[in-house]
Amino acid sequence: MAKSVLVIGGGPAGLGAAKALGSLGIPTVLVEKEDKLGGRPVIEDYHTLIPRKMKPDQVIGPFVSEVQNNPNVDVKLGTEVEAVEGEAPNFKVKLSNGETVEAAAIVVATGFQHFDPKRKGELGYGIYPDVITNLELEQMFSREGKLYRPSNGELPKRVAFVFCVGSRDRQLGVTNVHCCRYGCALSGLQGSEIRQHYPEVNVFCYYMDVRTYGTWEYPFYWEPQEKHGVRYVRGRIAEITYNPADGRLRIKHEDTIVQRPSEVPMDLVVLVLGMEPSEGTKKIAKMLGLAQDPDSLFLLPAEDAASNITSNKAGVFIAGACKGPIDIESSIAEGEAAGAEAAAFIGAKVTA
Amino acid sequence: MAIHERSLVEPERVLRKERLVIDGIDVSGDWNLVILPRVIEDYDLDFLDEVLKQPEGKTILQCYQCSYCTASCPVHNYWDERYNPRHFIYLARLGLIDELQKRADVIWRCVSCHKCTHRCPKGVLVEETLKAILKVMSKKGLIEEYPSKKFDTFFLEAVFEHGRIEDGELLFGWIEKQGYEVFKDPVLKKPIPFLGGTPEWLKQLAIKPIKSMNIDFLILNAKHMLFHPKTKNWNRFKQVLRKVMDEEGVSFVH
Repeated sequence: MAKSVLVIGGGPAGLGAAKALGSLGIPTVLVEKEDKLGGRPVIEDYHTLIPRKMKPDQVIGPFVSEVQNNPNVDVKLGTEVEAVEGEAPNFKVKLSNGETVEAAAIVVATGFQHFDPKRKGELGYGIYPDVITNLELEQMFSREGKLYRPSNGELPKRVAFVFCVGSRDRQLGVTNVHCCRYGCALSGLQGSEIRQHYPEVNVFCYYMDVRTYGTWEYPFYWEPQEKHGVRYVRGRIAEITYNPADGRLRIKHEDTIVQRPSEVPMDLVVLVLGMEPSEGTKKIAKMLGLAQDPDSLFLLPAEDAASNITSNKAGVFIAGACKGPIDIESSIAEGEAAGAEAAAFIGAKVTA
Repeated sequence: MAIHERSLVEPERVLRKERLVIDGIDVSGDWNLVILPRVIEDYDLDFLDEVLKQPEGKTILQCYQCSYCTASCPVHNYWDERYNPRHFIYLARLGLIDELQKRADVIWRCVSCHKCTHRCPKGVLVEETLKAILKVMSKKGLIEEYPSKKFDTFFLEAVFEHGRIEDGELLFGWIEKQGYEVFKDPVLKKPIPFLGGTPEWLKQLAIKPIKSMNIDFLILNAKHMLFHPKTKNWNRFKQVLRKVMDEEGVSFVH
């Protein structure tokens, strides 16, 4: 039997790896614990993806169909990895469906999970229906196609984005001190979408600093402000309360530019969630003995490797959000790179 | 009762009564003092819409608060730190009117050096934007007509009359408009410098540059004071300008 590669995770990074390996003619097993390929963007119905403002189907759809139709790729849905024995290039991997896969190399693409905002009780998520997450806002757009206040179904007059919920926060322990990397940009995009479709709705972004790095600066920071009139207010939201007199929320913060405390009425508050390593990532890290960041538990690349897809273990490659917050197009690129590295590792000869 | 950190409490937020009775209980003495909170309770979002309607205010949304303008601003740096163009833009965008009003005494102090506009990395026309903010403020009755506006009008009238300004006429005319007595010769009615009620500080201010002036330039200035220079064909141009202004309903005096 030809040497094969195991890809763990069927999200953007895993699909990138499986597509690359499949098209190189290498036998590949793709294990996905959900019963659908595509990862968070597809399963959770993201609306528009940063940075290229495409729909999940447009971005991930072609990868899914290519992987599913490639005879070299064996897709196992609803399946998890239960145990891994041996070393590269002779891994013996036990799956939850009872099968055992022999793999010469492994690509880990087990991804992230969204921060649970109930852990920040002062922000009132789960208490006030009009405090929602940015994920729920995406789903509001993608599943229902309209913006409304969950409490009464009406169009909000004002929407506030609360940046860095579950990010850059030592109060949660040492686990969430990192930046989520996508939040500023996604909020800029969501704010612009709201202003485009509902010009009468005022949108506010409450930020400490705006981290739309690199080429994201213009489309996700300048454009929302200049073209769509999204207002940026500096100050971290410390508390969200409800005023029964007018049925609106109050967001409590210090406007750090004016240096005055503020308690301003809002109709809909959107919490911009941070990223944490998924349960699967933590489990696979233990199973394979992969290096983890001691605080966040994200996977760490090998110390002496120039490329961040090389893990501390020979024959194991790590790609996507299991290593820390990352955007979708970079996840796909890392997956493809990890696939190519895995192909090189097993010594596959590629002929035209 | 004593107020700690007095510098943080504006006088208008302090309520102090000599005698104070609440719910029938006399609380005069130690409990006679209330400091009103400084919490921002709402934004006035219409203010920005008004600024955006002004032709000068179109670029206000481009500001990202880097403060390159304020760091360059001579008024902020050498006159009063409360003059802060970056901050005015922020306040206008959120509609924090009370904060703008607090600075009503400095907000019109721009000297139009345009360093802010030339340097702004975001292409905000800062000087124009501030004029738009001022315009909206005075339109909404939030400040009295700002003094620099009076000078602008005076200046424009001089340009309109002759197609150009004449330094002496502008200076002495303005001094006269401020209520100082300017001595004039009885025949030509031209102002004679340093006679009459010219204030001492102004004499000092004027003598300094005159002393170091090139003699030809001095003569030229004196000549201009006597015979007002005029732009060529200005009268015809002025007629066209007046016609256009009448049609558009524009005037210097608002």
